[in-house]
Amino acid sequence: MAAVLKATRRTQIGTRGAKKIRQTGSIPGIVYGHGQEPVPITLSEHEMELAILHGERVLELDLDGQVENVLIKEVQYDTFGHEVLHVDLARVSLDERVEVTVHVVLRGTPAGAAEGGVLNQVTSDIEIECLVTSIPEEIVVPVGAMKVDDMLHLKDIPLPEGATLLSDPDAVLCTVTVVAEEEVAAEAVEGEEAAEPEVIGEKKEEEAEEGAEEGEKK
Amino acid sequence: MAMMPKRVLHRKQQRGKIRGNATRCTTVAFGAYGLQCLGMGWITARQLEAGRVAATHYLHREGNVYIRVFPDKPISAKPLETRMGKGKGETEAWVAVVKPGTILFEVGGVDEPTAKAALRRVANKMPMRCRFVRRRHGL
Repeated sequence: MAAVLKATRRTQIGTRGAKKIRQTGSIPGIVYGHGQEPVPITLSEHEMELAILHGERVLELDLDGQVENVLIKEVQYDTFGHEVLHVDLARVSLDERVEVTVHVVLRGTPAGAAEGGVLNQVTSDIEIECLVTSIPEEIVVPVGAMKVDDMLHLKDIPLPEGATLLSDPDAVLCTVTVVAEEEVAAEAVEGEEAAEPEVIGEKKEEEAEEGAEEGEKK
Repeated sequence: MAMMPKRVLHRKQQRGKIRGNATRCTTVAFGAYGLQCLGMGWITARQLEAGRVAATHYLHREGNVYIRVFPDKPISAKPLETRMGKGKGETEAWVAVVKPGTILFEVGGVDEPTAKAALRRVANKMPMRCRFVRRRHGL
């Protein structure tokens, strides 16, 4: 069941206006889509954070008495990820197919881990197209059968019914590899040689001396 | 050996000032867990190397450790018992300039308690307060 969020039209726009809104316990946002004009809005920060916390993707937005379904497209956070700074909401109808980013969770311990293999997740979020009403919270991929040097691609992910993959199907999702042990010693030897970096645009001593000698001859 | 640039435009730099919070490199991007600094300052290449060694040693070569900052600022110093003048001193260290909120290290391929313990050891090597953060998924 989609949560109902109350919102009001916003007249204060720009950085200063947004700061003033945030000081009152609200957050600025925008609603767009379906060929209509974008509408700057003000939302309750607490209600919005609760909706995000509960994993809601589709909300009912009560904008000055007019209720419409919206999809949370983007949420901006502050530097430390504590406070919501701004939200982007897109108008959607409930029978519409939308493109969303979904988190991929690897479940289980790979069989190759017993042989010293390390599971490395290369891709953690994928783009899929699905119905607004059936956006998955996350996609679980079992990796228990993976051996050393095995690789899973995005095309191997079991998608929910009705969903199609938009990301590159040949992209790597995860690998199980054995970490080489000699890297550190090699790095240390290389590093000792490079005592000072090269200065861009500065002539080397030999070149400078040659140039001076040529100048004296002339 | 500690990290340093291969090529630089200028051999020596002025100190500069650090103002405000970080606006980039504030989210975990490569691993699943990260170490976010809460203060500002310079992190020397030696400190970064000490952090990397502490993490890899604790993880017993499991998982991956990512360093998100690079020491690209040269810090010069005069030798001891030297009179003032005679030009700027020679480069003594390379540092990374960090603002509050910058992700310094990331760890992937291990479970959360292990990553937390590894990053706590890294935090002990850093010159400012740091905190453990998780990757933010979806919204």
